[in-house]
Amino acid sequence: MAVFVVRRLIVSFFILLVSTFLIFVLVAHSGDPYGDLRGDHSPNLPQKMAHRTAILHLDEPDPQRYVRWLGGAAKCVVPGMTCDLGRTVHDQDVTALLGQAVASTLWLVTAATVLAVLLGITVGIVSALRQYSGFDYTVTFSAFLFFSLPVFWVAVLLKQYLAININNWYDDPRVGPVAALVLALLSGLTWGAIVGGPGTRRWIVRGIAAVATFGLLMYLSAVDWFARPALGPALIVVISCGIAVVVTELVSGLRRRGVLYACLITAGIGSVVQFLVTPWLQDAKWASWTNVLLLAVVAVVVAAAVGYALGGLDRGQAVRASVLTGLGIGSVIVVDEILRAVPAYSNAVGGRIVATIGSQTPDFTGTFWQGVLDQITHLVLPTLAIMLISFATYSRYSRATMLETMNQDYVRTARSKGLTERTVVMRHAFRNALIPLTTLAAYDFGNILGGAVITETVFARRGMGTLFVMGLSQTDPNPVMGFYIVTAVSIVIFNMISDIAYAYLDPRIRLS
Amino acid sequence: MAETETPQAVPAGPVPRQPAASLLEREFTVRAMTQRELVTRRFLRHRGALFGLAVFLCALILAYTSIGALGLPGWWAQKYSTTGGLTNGGGPTLSLWPLRIGTHPFGQDDVGRDYFALTMRGTQRSILIALTVGLVATATGVVVGAVSGFFRGWVEGLLMRITDVFLTVPLLLIAAVVGRFSSGGPLQLAMLLGLLVWTSLARLVRGEFLSLREKEFVEAARAMGAGSGRIIFRHILPNSLGTIIVNATLTIAQAILLETSLSFLGFGVQSPDTSLGKLIADYESAFTTRPWLFWWPGLFIVAIALSVNFVGDGLRDAFDPKQTRVRA
Amino acid sequence: MTTSVRECGDAPLLRVENLTVRFGTEDGVVNAVRGISYGLDAREVLGIVGESGSGKSVSSLAVMGLLPKSAQVTGRILFEGRDVLTMQAGEQRSLRGRRIAMVFQDPMTALNPVYTIGDQLAEAVRSHEAVSKRIALGRAAEMLDLVGIPQPRERLRNYPHEFSGGMRQRVMIAMAVINQPDVIVADEPTTALDVTVQAQILEKLLEVKDAVNAAIILITHDLGVIAGTANRVLVMYAGRAVELGETRQVFRSPRMPYTAGLLGSMPSLETSGQRLRPIPGAPPSLINLPPGCPFSPRCPLAEDHCLQAEPELSVTEQQSHTAACHRWPVMADSADPTAFFRTQQVGAP
Repeated sequence: MAVFVVRRLIVSFFILLVSTFLIFVLVAHSGDPYGDLRGDHSPNLPQKMAHRTAILHLDEPDPQRYVRWLGGAAKCVVPGMTCDLGRTVHDQDVTALLGQAVASTLWLVTAATVLAVLLGITVGIVSALRQYSGFDYTVTFSAFLFFSLPVFWVAVLLKQYLAININNWYDDPRVGPVAALVLALLSGLTWGAIVGGPGTRRWIVRGIAAVATFGLLMYLSAVDWFARPALGPALIVVISCGIAVVVTELVSGLRRRGVLYACLITAGIGSVVQFLVTPWLQDAKWASWTNVLLLAVVAVVVAAAVGYALGGLDRGQAVRASVLTGLGIGSVIVVDEILRAVPAYSNAVGGRIVATIGSQTPDFTGTFWQGVLDQITHLVLPTLAIMLISFATYSRYSRATMLETMNQDYVRTARSKGLTERTVVMRHAFRNALIPLTTLAAYDFGNILGGAVITETVFARRGMGTLFVMGLSQTDPNPVMGFYIVTAVSIVIFNMISDIAYAYLDPRIRLS
Repeated sequence: MAETETPQAVPAGPVPRQPAASLLEREFTVRAMTQRELVTRRFLRHRGALFGLAVFLCALILAYTSIGALGLPGWWAQKYSTTGGLTNGGGPTLSLWPLRIGTHPFGQDDVGRDYFALTMRGTQRSILIALTVGLVATATGVVVGAVSGFFRGWVEGLLMRITDVFLTVPLLLIAAVVGRFSSGGPLQLAMLLGLLVWTSLARLVRGEFLSLREKEFVEAARAMGAGSGRIIFRHILPNSLGTIIVNATLTIAQAILLETSLSFLGFGVQSPDTSLGKLIADYESAFTTRPWLFWWPGLFIVAIALSVNFVGDGLRDAFDPKQTRVRA
Repeated sequence: MTTSVRECGDAPLLRVENLTVRFGTEDGVVNAVRGISYGLDAREVLGIVGESGSGKSVSSLAVMGLLPKSAQVTGRILFEGRDVLTMQAGEQRSLRGRRIAMVFQDPMTALNPVYTIGDQLAEAVRSHEAVSKRIALGRAAEMLDLVGIPQPRERLRNYPHEFSGGMRQRVMIAMAVINQPDVIVADEPTTALDVTVQAQILEKLLEVKDAVNAAIILITHDLGVIAGTANRVLVMYAGRAVELGETRQVFRSPRMPYTAGLLGSMPSLETSGQRLRPIPGAPPSLINLPPGCPFSPRCPLAEDHCLQAEPELSVTEQQSHTAACHRWPVMADSADPTAFFRTQQVGAP
């Protein structure tokens, strides 16, 4: 395995050399580097031209310029030297520009990838299991629609239409009876399609889902929840127990009592611990990502211990399920904190809670959680825009591979052993379907980066995409190269991870 | 997860038509049909694909006959370049009930140009570019893929290295860089983009050739003294036709989105010419005041891309029905 | 359409009554199984013979409850007197793998490639019994030993791709018997294997069956496999049982021309030097079956009557031997029933 990784790294290095050279030369010749000065009639034009020639080394031949850039870039990996990625046409330091841009883009890309993978695979599996159902047809059609939507069009639509409408609604955030009724019907249809089953059962599911949705929306409007959202301790307890049951059902099935008890105990501990943790989280000095991460680690350790102690005959599954439950409850507590930050944040930004410009509100001062909320509100729409296509890819692809694995002989063998349908689907079919999905993840990453370029332009986020678009339109190689080198290295790393995951998932590769 | 229904005892009665399980296909398919008959029949049964084909043809005919092309006049009176005064405040005169088209059904832009004519012009350009990209990419991909899969050698080595390089470059990035070289002309842009997007098809064709050239029927043809050319064109190529056609279609759909994205970013079609993406970019800021300038070109992009994607899906099902079947 | 199944003293372990299976397809309704009935006694070996598409695999998958959802099943499948088809899903599942187990045709694809043999065997135990993984693995090793895999403890940690085809089929057999089932359904267990391995696997299957006191439904298209192993044999054609009897009776004196044809197309020492006599033609499509005996188009003995009425399975000269043929008395009068196919081949008038 180590040999494989090292060999891949060496090959990737040479590929990067070739591709950086190609792109450098192409960008350098894609237009006139003095383009913006041509219309300039100021007396100091010759000095400006000379200055530009000097900072971009326009008097040197291409290979020499490239080697100069490469030398500066190489300093990034040599310890003790500082990165030098050259300067822009306007004599700014690319390294510094890139430093700010990378974080913004990384947030966007990571959020979009994670969401697309989770949602896409889940929806794909459900639609494979409900092949030729209403749900399946709806998902298939939506996937095709998303494939056919230009990212920029969606982005503009979200920015100019959805965001404005949501913000207008938020002036007085209530759901009227008509809107609640429509949403309730939609929810009923969706849940009926997901749960499936024979006619009567499906009608019961539809009814329950619709009534519950309607009641919930009306109740939340009545107590003005949307203006001051929060979950509250009681609801956290209920959600925790729900998470415990769902996780147990997915990991081992409710029949495994040891696993179920472990998850429920973890949920119980979480419910009690929230009272202990909430004051810390609301303490301005204490709250930070480091400490939240620390809490997550503690949660994992405690949950694992509970799973180990109570797992009985199914210790492995119990530990896994318990850890998932613990993390789930942790996330719920964090979500609660973020929700509690909404009213103050809404005041701070004048009620326009969905942001459409930039990656954070300029000069925003607030608590840690308000800061987090600020980032989230800036991320939501761009992430959604990028995610749609990837979501479509993942759901289509996981549906197809799932159908294929469900058709395999070993799935029939698993059934013939008398395993539950859950075990057959999750342990046998899904586990095998994951193998080709890892390759897809590597391919899709490049698309997401491309989508990021467009959405950053639309939402005016100061990310790497903006750097690229500005650089290219001014025939300015250095910012483009800065964008490209970060992109290419992350693609190489992503590919490597996907290869390793592939080998890990498939013993035929691992052992050869 | 809910339980799968197990087959239950049911009273005898009409059995609903359901797609066959693969088990059945293995054991009970008796009637013989030629490959082409099967493919045609399966394609014609795919309602989405037929609908997609119809929509695409409608858009194509509408765009090219309305404002004319190749110097021929069209039936639409307005010119896309003529400016003028605003009728109806520049808003669309189209109304569905009562049905009335009016002088400017899609409205007018800020200098009074007829937006229907402009949208048709953009559609012409976008379709032209997409089809050219599809053609160039498919031709290149098939030739390179076939040569590297059949003869292997340095062509294959080169192909694999090129695809390796392409894997590290987001398509949009390289397309944008290349787009700057087209100096705004739609055909140059299409050619350049076509020369970019062929690699995935080349790899697929190579894969097909690699596996097909080891098949018995190729051995048999070779044993009978058939030359390489005959084997490639008579025996292997027809068998990889499915892959090629399906991917050509999907490339066209991809090209529409790529071109519009590039034009939106300003690296594609340039003024005075226009395309659907450029129209949206030009009028993005007018969204709140005159939203129709945003909706019409968007609608056409989505309709065209969606219809081509559906045709592609129908073709894939027609050529390879296995992948959509499930046993239980 | 009641058919006479051999009556034995007490009720048989498994009893299939008038089983039909239909599939809706794009081309029409496929009647894969058109009403078959048979019984299976404890510790008995019942051979089911037929060519591809005769419904033999589909009928056994119906017994296992493994048919696709699109299948429509009627009739009764009584296991220890209770109908499997009307059971709750959970109850049916608790039979599968514990009381009725299955060995599949292709061992290369029947094992999950991403889990070790030990995991897959232990899973079979632990889905029916609350035991620790350690105990389940212990039993798995015993079973591997039983089916003749050397160093069973070490091999538990191997993945399927590290085994040869014959060894994998042994693993499949071990998996089938690990819960000491009463019935093993073996669907062409040797077809996908090398000829040299086939006999070993078959022998191992019978040996293991005796060790766990199970009955076997042995599905095959190979009469040679049946000859040495089965107590009774059921011949299927076009979704129907056409002959059922003790193996010796059926082989010595077939009472259905199709069986005779199968026997005639099998090489043997007695007939060496003579030409094999294949059955002309191909089996009918199961989508639009014409009326009458489905074998009549290929049958050298067919008369007008055969084209109009489909014969029922009925008792021949011996109580335990039934056949579905209008013309069985003609066969009974002939010394060598397989000879009918020879005469036709030379071109009788």
